[in-house]
Formats: sequence, C-alpha cells, structure tokens
Amino acid sequence: MLGLIKDFIDFLTTPTISFTLLTVLTPILFPPTDWFDKLSRKLKVDKLWTNKGGFVGLLLITIFMVMGYTDPNFSKILMKPDNFPIVLLIYSMFFYIWWGMKQAYENDARLAEGKKPNEYHDPDDKVLVWPDLVYIEFIALLLFMVFLIVWSLLAAAPLEEPANPASTPNPSKAPWYFLGLQEMLVYFDPWIAGIVFPMFIIIGMMAIPYMDINTKGNGYYSFKERRAGYFIFMYGWLVLWVYLIIVGTFFRGPNWNFFGPFEFWDPHKVVALNNVNLSEYIWVIGLEKPLPSNILLREAVGFLVVFAYFAFIPLALSKTLLKSMYEKYGSIRYGTLMFFGLSMLALPIKMYLRWVFNLKYIVSIPEWFFNI
Amino acid sequence: MDYFNDERYWDIKLLNKWFAISSILFLFSIIWMFVDDNDDEYKNYQKDFRKLSVQVEREKLEIEKELVESERKGYELKYEQAQLELDSKSGLLTNLKERLIQAEGYYYKANMEYLSKTADIDELKYLYEDQEVHSHKSEFHNNKYKEDYNNALQVLHGFKLIKEEKELNVSTLKAEIKELESPSKLASDELNEFLKKLNLVDQKLKKLDRSEMSTSNKIADVVRDLPIIDFMDPYYKINQIVVNDIKYDVNFATVQTVDRCTSCHLGIDNPDFQDAKQPFTTHPRLDLFLTSSSAHPMEDYGCTGCHSGRSRGTSFVTAVHMPQNLDQKKHWEEDYGWEKMHHWLKPMLPAQYSQAGCFKCHSNKPYLDGADKLSHGLALIQKNGCNGCHLMQNFAKRKDPGPDLSKIGTKTDKEWAMKWIKDPKSFRHNAKMPSFFGQDNNSDPASIKRTDTEIFTMVEYLFKDNNKLEGNSKKYIGDKNNGEKLFNAVGCNGCHVITPDKSDLPDINNSYTLLSEQGPNLINLGSKTTSEWVYKWIKDPTSYWPDTKMPNLRLSNEEAKDITAYLMSFTDEEFEELDAPRLNESELDTIALGWLNKMYPEVDAENKFNQMNYSDKIDYVADKSIRYYGCTGCHDIPGYEDSKPIGVELTYEGSKPIDKLDFGYIHDIDHANYAWFEQKLKNPRIFDRDKVVDPEDKLRMPNFYFTDEEIEAIVTAILSFSEDQLSPDIIADRFTSKEALEGHRIIKDLNCQGCHIIENLGGQIADRMELPEFAPPNLNTQGDKVHSEWLYHFLDDPTIIRPNLEVRMPTFNLSDKDLNSLIAAFQDIDNTDLIFESIHSVDKKSSKYKAGKKLASSDFGACNNCHFYGDTFPLQGAITWAPNLAMSKERLRSEWVVEWLRDPQKIMPGTKMPAPYIPTSDLLDSPGAEEIYGKSLIELGNNDNPDIMLEGLRDYLFSIKGKTDISNIVKDYFKENGYNFNEEEEEDDDDW
Repeated sequence: MLGLIKDFIDFLTTPTISFTLLTVLTPILFPPTDWFDKLSRKLKVDKLWTNKGGFVGLLLITIFMVMGYTDPNFSKILMKPDNFPIVLLIYSMFFYIWWGMKQAYENDARLAEGKKPNEYHDPDDKVLVWPDLVYIEFIALLLFMVFLIVWSLLAAAPLEEPANPASTPNPSKAPWYFLGLQEMLVYFDPWIAGIVFPMFIIIGMMAIPYMDINTKGNGYYSFKERRAGYFIFMYGWLVLWVYLIIVGTFFRGPNWNFFGPFEFWDPHKVVALNNVNLSEYIWVIGLEKPLPSNILLREAVGFLVVFAYFAFIPLALSKTLLKSMYEKYGSIRYGTLMFFGLSMLALPIKMYLRWVFNLKYIVSIPEWFFNI
Repeated sequence: MDYFNDERYWDIKLLNKWFAISSILFLFSIIWMFVDDNDDEYKNYQKDFRKLSVQVEREKLEIEKELVESERKGYELKYEQAQLELDSKSGLLTNLKERLIQAEGYYYKANMEYLSKTADIDELKYLYEDQEVHSHKSEFHNNKYKEDYNNALQVLHGFKLIKEEKELNVSTLKAEIKELESPSKLASDELNEFLKKLNLVDQKLKKLDRSEMSTSNKIADVVRDLPIIDFMDPYYKINQIVVNDIKYDVNFATVQTVDRCTSCHLGIDNPDFQDAKQPFTTHPRLDLFLTSSSAHPMEDYGCTGCHSGRSRGTSFVTAVHMPQNLDQKKHWEEDYGWEKMHHWLKPMLPAQYSQAGCFKCHSNKPYLDGADKLSHGLALIQKNGCNGCHLMQNFAKRKDPGPDLSKIGTKTDKEWAMKWIKDPKSFRHNAKMPSFFGQDNNSDPASIKRTDTEIFTMVEYLFKDNNKLEGNSKKYIGDKNNGEKLFNAVGCNGCHVITPDKSDLPDINNSYTLLSEQGPNLINLGSKTTSEWVYKWIKDPTSYWPDTKMPNLRLSNEEAKDITAYLMSFTDEEFEELDAPRLNESELDTIALGWLNKMYPEVDAENKFNQMNYSDKIDYVADKSIRYYGCTGCHDIPGYEDSKPIGVELTYEGSKPIDKLDFGYIHDIDHANYAWFEQKLKNPRIFDRDKVVDPEDKLRMPNFYFTDEEIEAIVTAILSFSEDQLSPDIIADRFTSKEALEGHRIIKDLNCQGCHIIENLGGQIADRMELPEFAPPNLNTQGDKVHSEWLYHFLDDPTIIRPNLEVRMPTFNLSDKDLNSLIAAFQDIDNTDLIFESIHSVDKKSSKYKAGKKLASSDFGACNNCHFYGDTFPLQGAITWAPNLAMSKERLRSEWVVEWLRDPQKIMPGTKMPAPYIPTSDLLDSPGAEEIYGKSLIELGNNDNPDIMLEGLRDYLFSIKGKTDISNIVKDYFKENGYNFNEEEEEDDDDW
C-alpha cells in the first residue's frame, strides 16, 4: 500500500505532471477572476485559508516528510545538511502564505459586510522605537542566535573534497537559492537563463511600484481587491521559482536526470534527449530540405515567432481583451507590464514546448552563441 | 482602542516574559556550545591513557623498588651514620655557621666601600683627563685634579686590602664547614645515584597521578584544563607533527601534512604499551619506525605519509580509519558510529595494506627488507606479467614472463597448444599462464563456440611458419634415475619444482616461497614436447629463446640426456585424452564480420568479408584475437613487435578516484578501491555481470586464480602506486646509482635469491636439498668480500670455488652492462664502491707474515686439512673440502679477510669454517712459550694492534701460490669418485 502511494507520488512529481498540476492549481488557490473564485469556493479550496485548513496543510506536508525520512532513498536526500534549508523553506513558505491569505480572506469578508478591515485599529502613524521596536528586535535576535547555535551544533558544515577539475561531483548542484536558475538552464540557453532572466526578475520587481496604480488594499491584508496581481506574482514566485528550487534539490539526481522522491538515485540511469531546433522542424522535417547556409534565412521563422510574441500579442490584446486595462494604464505602463509578463510566461511556454515537441531552441545560432 | 503616545503598543510585561525565556534559551545554547566545544573525543582517550600510564608507572616503580631493595639498606645506613656523626659535631657546626654569617656581613660592608670608592675614582679620572686635554692649549697649566686623583688611589688601595682580608675569612670558614659536612654529603650523593632510576619514575608518577600531588598542584592540575584558560598550558591537548616533506594535494595547491594521530595514539612510540588496547598500543615495528634511532623518525615522517587517512582528524570517524573487512566495518559502526567520510580522497589504508605506503619512497628497488607483503606483491606483478598489459611507469616490465612463440612449432603440436590455451590449468595445476576462457563472462554455450573458434585460429597462426616438430628419438634419452639425482643436485630446483599433485604445494605464499616458482612446475613434459627439444633446451636455452631468463648449467651431453629422460617421464593421460577446441565455420564468419563491422562501414565490411577466403578469415580472426586478448603482453610473437598493451595504465592506480572504477551492477562489496581490486583479481570478469556487452567489448583480463594471500599482496602493490607528492629529500635510495638499482632488478629477474641469501632473503634451494650444508653460499657481505674484477670474470664464466658442492653456479646470459650493474648492486648492499683496487702486497720477511705462516701450519690452524692449496688436495676427505687458497689473493679483499677470520659465523651463519686459533698474550708470556709458538708470534704478542695476528694469517694466505682455477681437477675427481662422500665418511664428521 505504502509502496503504491510512493509510486503514485513519484509519478505525480514527474516535471510534466507536477508542473501542469501546479499551473492548474494556482488560479484555483489564488483565483484571479470571479469564475475561478466560484470554482475555488465550489471545490472548497478557500477553506484552506482557515485555521482548520492550515492545520490540514501542515499535517499533509508533515506526513510527506515523515514518509520521506522513513524511506531509504528519500531520507538520504532529505538528511543532507545542505538540504535542510529547503525543508525549512517548504514549511515557512506554506505557513506565511497561509497566514497572509487567512487574514486577507477575513478582511475580504469584513469588507463585503461593509465593516472596516482588522488592521484599522492599528496605529496609523508611528510607534516608539523603545521599547516597541528595539525590544522585539532584540528578542528576535536572541531567538535567532539560539536557533543558529543549535543548528550549527547539530549539523556539521557540509564541506566536501577539494575542488578538482578532473573529477566533478555528480550531480553538480548550485547553492540551493540558485537551483531555480539551474533548472531554467535545462530549457534555455545559458545567457538567457543565467543573465537575461535574472536581470528581468530584478528590474521587473523594481518596476512593480511604478506600475501599480491600484489604490485599494494598502495597509491591510486583502486578496479580492488586487487578486489579479496576487495571482500573477504567486505563479511567478511559487511555481516558477520555489517549485523549481524544490525540483532542483530533491528531484534532480546523477547526470541531472529526474528522479521521483522515493526513487533510488541510480547513476546508470539513461534518459534519451533528442532535442530538435525550430529551424530543423521547418527545413529538415517540414520541407525535407537541407538547412540554408544563410543563418538569418535559416532562423527567420524563429525570429518571426519571437517578434510576434513580444510585439503582436500585446498589440492585439490592447485592442481586444485588455482594452480597458490599456486605457487605464497608458501605453508605456501597459507595454512594460506586457513585456515583463510575457517574459515570465516564456518560461512555462518553453518548458511545454520542450516536453511536447522536444523543441530545443526557437532561434538557434550556435555560430554566434545566440540561442533563444 | 485609541492610541496615545505615552502608551506602549506591545504589552511590556509580555515582552519581559519573552525576553526572559529567550535569554535563558540563549544561555543554555551558549553552555551547550561550550560543552560541545570542550567535549572532544581525544580528551577522553587522553584521560584513559593517563590512568593507564599511572598504572604502568606504578608497576615500574614497584619493579624499581624491588631491584634496589637488597642494597638500598646499605646505602641508607651509610648515610644515616654520616648524618649521626655530623650531628655529634653540631655545636662546632653551629658555631662555624654563626661566624660565617658575621664574616659575610663584614665582607659585604668592605666590598661596598671598595666599590663606591672605585666609582669615585672613575669620576676623578675623567676630570683629570679632561683637564689634561684642555690644558694643552695654554702655556701654563696646573692640573688641580692630579693630586686628588692620586690621593684617592691611595685610599682605594687601603679599602682593597680590607676587602680582600674579609673575603679570605669567609672562604676559610666555608671550607671548614664543607669539610665537616662532606662525609654526609658524599653518602647522600651515593644514595641518590643508586636510586636515580627509581626517583625518575617516582617524579614522573607525581606529575601524572593526581593522588600523589600536593594540594596546590592538584588545584593547578584541574585549573589548567578549564575552558578558555586551557589556551596556556593544558594537560589534555591536541598533539601534532608537521611534516614538510610530505604534501597533501588539494588540486590547486599542496599543503604540508599535519599529523594529529598522536592525540589519541598516545603510546605509539613507547615500548611500555605493547599489550595495551587500541588506540594506545605501541607501534609493532619500533626498530624501523617512529623512534629517533630508527630509519623513519616520527618527527620527519609523521603517520599519514605511510598510512594515509585524514591527518588533521581528531576523532575516530574524522581521521577516516578504514576497516579491514565487512565484519570489522559492522563492529565499527556499532562501537564507534563509524561511517566513511567519502569526501576525503585518501582514506587510511586498512591494516592489511599498510605496506602500500612504503613504495612511495622505496620505489627504486624491487624488494624491500621489512615489507614482505609489498615485495611479494611486486614480485607477483613482475612474475605474472601484469605490467605487460598494464603500463606501470614506476614498475616497468623487465623480461617477457611467457616464452618466445616464434619457434613454437618445434616444441609442441597444435592440439596441445589449443588445449593449453583453452585451459592451462588442465595441464599444469599451477600454470603461470592465466585462464582467458571458461570465465564469468564467456562460459555460456554461445561464448564457448566463439572462443573455441578463436583459439583454433590463434593456434593456426602461431604454427603457420611450420617449424618442424623435433623428434622423440631414443638418442636423447639417458638414465632417468640419474637424471632425477642430477635434477635435485645441480641446481634446477633453485627455480623449478616438480609437483604433480596440487596438494603438495606450500600452504603459505610469500616472497620466499615464490622464489621456487621462477620457472614452471616441470610436470607432464612427456605429454607436451619431445625429448630432442628438451635436450636442446637445457643444453642451450638461448638458441630457442634468445631473451630467456633460464641460465645454462653447462651440462655434459650425458647429464643432459639423463635429465631429459627424467623430465620426459612425467605424462598426463587425462590431458592427452581431452578434446581440442574445434573450429566452427559459421562462427568464424560471425567473428570476422563482427570485427570488420567495428572497423569499417557496413558496406565496406561486407565487401572485405566477401573477398576473404577461408585461410584469410582464419588469419584475420587470429590477428584480432591475439590483439584482443593481448597475448603479446607476455609473449614474443613474430609480427606483433609494435603491439600496444591492452590494459589500463596502473601507474597511479592507488590514487585513482573511486568513481573512475566501474563497479557495474556488483553491489555486495565495499565501495572502496581495495575492495574493487580484490574483486577484480578474484574474478576479473565479474563487472560484466548483468550488462549488455558486445563480444568485442567484453572484459578480457584473464583469471590467474590467485590465492587470498597473493591477492592481498598484489592489492598492496597496486595501492602503493600513488600520486602523492614527496620531497626528493625523503625518497629512499636517492643516493644509489642507477647502475646499482639496475643490478638489484637483475638479481630479482634472474632469481639469484632462489639459491643464494641476499639481503636476508632467499636460499630456498637448501630446503629441497638432501644436505642443506652443500647448498649455494650465503652472499652476505659479497660486495665487501671480493674484488670487483674477479666478480666480473666469475659471473661471466663461473669457476669452481667450493669444490665439494655438486650444485653449480649457472652461466647467465648477461651483457657487460648487466654484469657491471650486478657488481654495483652487490657493492651497494655493503656500501663499497671501489672498482679498481691494488693487489695487497705481502712482506715475507716480516714477523707478521711468519707468525701467520705458523698459525696456518699443521700445529695450529691446519688450513690445508680442508683447503686446496692450488692443485694440492686437502689432507682430509671431500666432505670437508673448502675453497682453493691460492685463489684468495685475486679474489678476496684484504680488509674483508681479517673480518672473516675474526668471526666466520657472523658473516656466514652456519659455515663449517672455524675461527682460527689465536694465542692470547697470557699464553705468549708464559715460560717456554717461544718453543711452542715461535719467535714471530711472541713478537706479535707485544704489538698494540689486536688484529695483527689475523693480518699475518691473511698475508700468509695471500702468498699461497698455485693454480687458481682448479675446476677441471675437481671435476675429474668427482667423475671418478662420485658425490657420495657423505655416506662413506660420515664418522669423520666429528673431527670438526
């Protein structure tokens, strides 16, 4: 029975399935529209943001962890001192999101009843530095010191052998906070996954305050008043970042092969990777011709696709679906928002293209080290 | 709730509670941190060791006490008496002491006055001189300080006299007191001297044993190890040895070795702890290691330079101890929570492989006294030709271990060769040739079909040149019984055994037993070859195999025939009845096509295949098979002079990262390099198990069927091939010439130790001779013993030295270069390096010579009882015959002869040569001595040089004239009389 459950979890965690599940689940957890909201309430997913729901959530995570620690294969990975922060991350990520969402849902209910939000009674201007700030900071500092000391006493520093260029560890993993990036490298060229995307993430986050023209939901927890933004951020943060870190930590084994949590990390495992470029699809498979020697001609379709993605889609949307938004935000704000949004969306799109079509690159010019 | 500025947002009392709780938690975590930081594993060991040391020292104290018990009373009584006597004079002594105090007071005062006056005078002197310098400028000068200065000198003189008088008083009084006290002091010194050892142990114990300490020392002993204070001078501390000459490689830099092993291994260099439990046990070889008088002092070599392991580790686990086997591993896991720190690249060598550490520095010589397992492993590698297929730059292949196959057709037939290749063990149970077939990955019917075909083609190829098989004519067969006698007498069993029964092999395997396996076990030759071939081979091995190690024993035709008859008498009918492998034509096609497809595109392969006829296919498959199985690693095969070895290079195999070793799907062995090597040697093909492999890519290392001991020895050698970086200053034999090192290798190649003891190893032939005393000589001090020129001629063309030995020194197939190397090696062993030496000149008129002559005469030494004097036979029978003394001068070095005569047993234990009779000076002084000993000896008796008589004897020996080479005379004698002297003259044995 337990074996069956483990096999099922192994199956569920396969990147294609788990990523799809999460992508489907996110709008139900954080419904961006009324339709999703109704669905969420119908499925009683909104009950997660209550005390009972939080308890059940923590319980499920803990059951999973207990299963992990008692499993001979998964425990090896879970017990690695390097991976302790990820276990911590899973708990804290759930707890704080639950806590925020719980308060937001409470406030939403109050607001719907015409009441003021819970935070209304908080001091609206300032509190004293001493004792209100410094005292709790000091207590927090003490507790955190205790935590760090105990942690360092219980787990030795995870040092490894001297670096040797002739013998690298397998798998070679980045520090845990970069594992999301490393996961992106599976789907993108290094310069995109390693340089362009991280830069976009930083710049995009810096741009958020300038793009947010929603005056509601300031100073108190609320979901309903800014649910679209909430959803987009949560998708980017939880699915495209935290989930990828967890995949990188727990599910990537020797040769960067994917392993379910309860699977043995067999270094002999071989997975065929037959990836095909878009230009090859068009010229070789579609037209049954050799690849043109002119690079630009060869990659013309790829460039066209990329151009269409970033130029045509926003334009078309501004005239149709998002017309009201375009009018509200103005062209610059709208354009920037769309650019970053589409860049973010490019990641899951590329992942699916890889899984479904074995697509390697849309534009592939290895001669110039330029691949998209 | 409204908020006012003077109110607090948080409940301060609640915060106070939180603060209290967090502070207490913080305090506990800090305490925990201290405990954790100070609770080191090594401290517990040090505490245990301290208890153990106290116990040991107490036992020692008891022993010392017992030793002195009997005489102690006497010394103490003497001391007490002296003390009593002194006490009786106590009045006088007190009086003297009081006077001394007073006198010293007076002296102090006088001295003070004198010194202060001296200071005054120095000042006046300056003023006086100053005035003098300035006054030169004016015509009239009057130095007003002159008088003052002179007066002061007068006064000082007075003070000085007083001071000296007082000083004298003091010294007189002191002398009186000393004289009075001296008997008691003397007795006390004697007592202390007598109890010196006891007191030393006692003092040591007082430092160790807290219960023996004074209260203040007890407190200090606790305080010194308290946290924080323990930075100053703790009792429990990490011990470390920094070794600069041995580095640890961290890939981008090297760091010196810092060995902290002695933090727990506290008794390692102390012989008192031989029976203590680990980690306190004494090192088993303190004569070689650790102590300052040994070859490897601890301060220079540390521990991990040899043993490997994590030198900075101070706990059982972090030092990366490695278990000897899975059983020990289990125990360690239970007892010590052991786990492998797999990030440390150089785990400790398990105890059975410790000797692998030796080779890092001792890689220049093929055998190492004191590291038998390593030497055994290296010898096995050389003997079995591991380095024929596996390149070992630090231990290169010397000579082919297998015979030259260019004339195989003259020696045996195809059928025999096929059966032999298929399973050498079926013909000779301990065949040196390993088994390629019938192994783990080629025993299924399909594989057997394939390998039988391969064997068939290889044999076809080898016999292609069609050398005619030599005949089995009666004319090469002599007397079998005499052949057996000769085989056992002339020295064949220095290198060969004839052991038809597997169970007769020695139970143990080591470098000594290996010496008897230099050549093959000579069984079943009658089922293998012809009498003509055997006859020709033993008469002149190089004509069949120019590079053979087999020497020429200079057998006469009759002797060769007799031995041939003996060897040919061994046959194996069971083997003769075996079916030879047969060719399967479709399999031949499959194999040929398989190889062609590996090399060429399929269409080309197809074309090439279609162009081949039957014999082309045979040749092609034979060629591929010979290259695939690496036959040329051991054999010379015409046409394969340029073939490459097929194995992986093993030069640095001991340092190879474990992930470079393919464990395949074998999971039931330890994940360690030595476990892999063991498994590989036990079953070389096992790592193919459960794998899908093309026949052309299968593992092909053959199975040598090594015993467990041999595997351990070989694994030791493989582990020793390390990449470690050592300073050239600690490489052993760095001062030995290349020539001498080559000589050492030749000694090993030619199995000199099969017959002779060289560097404490060898001489195994004696075990298998009826009369071990007639075995080849011990070559101890050989380099010191003979002139290099003589040795050169002897090795090149041996003559008879020991006339009654039936065993012969063979003629080896050696170049001048080899001979020079051999001589250099013998000289290296004895630290001599003279190539040219003058002949020792003898003054026949000197009394030294005359005395020597007297000592050698029949009255005393009677050398001619046993020794030949040129062609003059010894007086006694053949059983006691000894070397021809007429040869001494050109053969022996003069200094060595004196050492030899002084104590022959020391140089050659067990020799029948007695030490010559040397009269003592008492005897020479006794009345009437001159009549007995002669004038010259009496004269020598007064000489200061103790060796003068031995030198005289030597001079006499060197002056004996006669034929130096008596080989023919001796040969003729034994031809006539035979070697049966032992039986006939047994009763004479007691005359010695």
